[in-house]
Amino acid sequence: MDTQWPRYEVFEQEQPDQPHRNSGAVHAPDAELALQNARDVFVRRPEVSSLWVVPENQIYAWTAEALAADPSWQTETVVLARSASPYEVFQKQSQRQSETYVIHVGTVQARSPSEALREALAKFDAGSVLVWWVVLAGAIRRSTRGEAASLFEPARDKTYRQPNEYKVASQMRAANDAGKAEAGNEQPGPAGAPAPGPQEPAE
Amino acid sequence: MIDERLQAFEVRIARGEKIEPGDWMPDEYRRQLIRMISQHAHSEIVGMLPEGAWITRAPNLRQKLILLAKVQDEAGHGQYLYHAAETLGATRAEMIELLLAGKAKYSSVFNYPTLSWADMGIIGWLVDGAAILNQTMLARSSYGPYSRAMVRISAEEGFHKKQGQEMVIRYARGTARQHALVQDALNRWWWPSLMMFGPHDSESPNSPTLLRWRIKTRTNDQLRQEFVNELVPELQRLELSLPDSALRRDEASGNWLIGPIDWDEFKRVVSGHGPCNQERLAARQKAHDDGRWVREALEVYAARQDQARPRVN
Amino acid sequence: MTEPALAAYLLALADDELILGHRDSEWTGHAPILEEDIAFANIAQDEIGHASLWYGLVRDLGGAEPDRLIFFRLPAEYRNAPLVELPKGDWAFSMLRQYLFDAAEARRLPLLAASTHRPLAEAAAKIRTEEIYHLRHTQAWIERLAQGTSESHRRVQAALDLLWPYAVQLFDPVTHEAELAAGGLLPEVGAVKGDWLQTVVPFLSAVTLRVPEASLPAGVSRAQHTQHLTDLLADMQVVARSEGPDVHW
Repeated sequence: MDTQWPRYEVFEQEQPDQPHRNSGAVHAPDAELALQNARDVFVRRPEVSSLWVVPENQIYAWTAEALAADPSWQTETVVLARSASPYEVFQKQSQRQSETYVIHVGTVQARSPSEALREALAKFDAGSVLVWWVVLAGAIRRSTRGEAASLFEPARDKTYRQPNEYKVASQMRAANDAGKAEAGNEQPGPAGAPAPGPQEPAE
Repeated sequence: MIDERLQAFEVRIARGEKIEPGDWMPDEYRRQLIRMISQHAHSEIVGMLPEGAWITRAPNLRQKLILLAKVQDEAGHGQYLYHAAETLGATRAEMIELLLAGKAKYSSVFNYPTLSWADMGIIGWLVDGAAILNQTMLARSSYGPYSRAMVRISAEEGFHKKQGQEMVIRYARGTARQHALVQDALNRWWWPSLMMFGPHDSESPNSPTLLRWRIKTRTNDQLRQEFVNELVPELQRLELSLPDSALRRDEASGNWLIGPIDWDEFKRVVSGHGPCNQERLAARQKAHDDGRWVREALEVYAARQDQARPRVN
Repeated sequence: MTEPALAAYLLALADDELILGHRDSEWTGHAPILEEDIAFANIAQDEIGHASLWYGLVRDLGGAEPDRLIFFRLPAEYRNAPLVELPKGDWAFSMLRQYLFDAAEARRLPLLAASTHRPLAEAAAKIRTEEIYHLRHTQAWIERLAQGTSESHRRVQAALDLLWPYAVQLFDPVTHEAELAAGGLLPEVGAVKGDWLQTVVPFLSAVTLRVPEASLPAGVSRAQHTQHLTDLLADMQVVARSEGPDVHW
């Protein structure tokens, strides 16, 4: 069956002192191509200094609504490992319109996703959190510092992708002035200040 | 109980909250969104074809890079949108199957041929310009993943419109042949661009629901009028004429009023009988078929690697 | 003597990148999966960007403007290796060609970055960062295609059988290359090829591919092109040539 490959969620870190943020997902057959695809799909314009990718079936997610509606996570005791492992915790904290979804807030130790969620609720401010994700840290493929230059630098030079490369406002003004000059040649009018034109939007 | 959940849902929407994957939603909301988002995704993917055809003929290095980047962005936009639909339970494989079977719609504007290099400029300024108006509005959509995809797309789309406008300005003021090329392109793409905003409000069956649930926040006619008001004076300033003998300015409102849109043509093109519908789908079918052995090979390789990996506790 | 000879070498590098980038760009909208439409379009942009850098150096050494060189030269005046003008073929063919080329760049660029000709050294250093990623990408793909299904293996092997002699020809010295190398402007003749063979042959064998013994048809070289280049340029140049070389598009 032609499945278009499994999905990996993608997290981008803009600057080294900022948290990783979930920006979307890529389809890939394995972690190495997931990291490469994430770079090609999500890092076409600067700034990114680190990428994480995780198979989507390794993500345990709860909305605030779901937490309230089904409290089984409070007592769920199925244990997946003999000893605790690190889980990374992500939250969506606000309704503000944005490009990214959940952001990384830190790490907890747990033996199962439910236990990780309980630990996270205790450790991190749960007040206005709208969505929680917990992910086994070992399931995350992370870009390394050594890879950063070849992964993230090449996007910088491609300035032709940036809107401010294109000076259309001044080009329209030039076209407008050329048109007025021609009209001026045909109909000599009173010398003086030209008629005020429409406000030009900022470039 | 069902009424209570719907009520609570509508209160959330009214408060401007985002609905996220995992939240309760009416089946109709889910259905409308999958339809709308996948249609939008298909439009981006099919939209790569009319412009992609001219990459090899770009007349200088800079234009070659620009067009490559633009078409690449369109693939990226399709990618973000398929993902948003996937969060609602659709799979990319299913959505592609529907498209190739002719059962899914996509923007009819991409069923027109690109007949000259100047089409690239007109498409960038008009078609992407129209898309931007739609997109800015959709970024306020109530469904989180769709809203976020649209914010990202809008940020990237600005370059598409501006590079197109730059080309049109240059060619309109260039050689006689360049001016003629861009005028001809405008003649062919003006009405298809206007049709991108969809049927008149009075004829639009889905709109009331989409507006109530803030899947859309402005009407087709409102957006179309904004588009016309922006483009007409600027095109005229470049000494290009609009292919609309009924076009006139209403002094009272300041609006530019267009002549009648040929909705028969719109219906023909949307239902699969436009000049390039067959060609577009055939190209996508071929890419899909030719790629099957590739997708399978990488899945088989990955499965083998997984089996070979020693189990860790 | 040095300047025209160096310009000729750089023109060959530029033509390689341009024609390869052009072939890569043909996949946009037709790749096996959406993520590769995006990835391969990146590689195409990178290669065309590299071409732009090399053509810029040619101009600085007294040559014509890049766009004039690209859009107004005849096929017989192009100096790319025939490897890059071959049609794109199937996905295995394009991926393998890109891999063989990327592996050559990986060996050539560090040596060029040590050139005594400063602009050349700087351009090579700049390009190198992008090429690291190309090689990572294409190597990962060849590893997977060669060892995926019997069909994917068959296709990559068929591609290798066809491409190998053209790839080896990438390293045939251009005119005056030995003198330029003696002056420290270019690496020692044969150095890049030697490094390349030592990397590529073990890799291909490790992924169960068989390096063929084949040789090229006679009369095919950087100075003598195939019909494919004529067809490619007829398409590529058609819009630019509809007006004179000084018209701004």
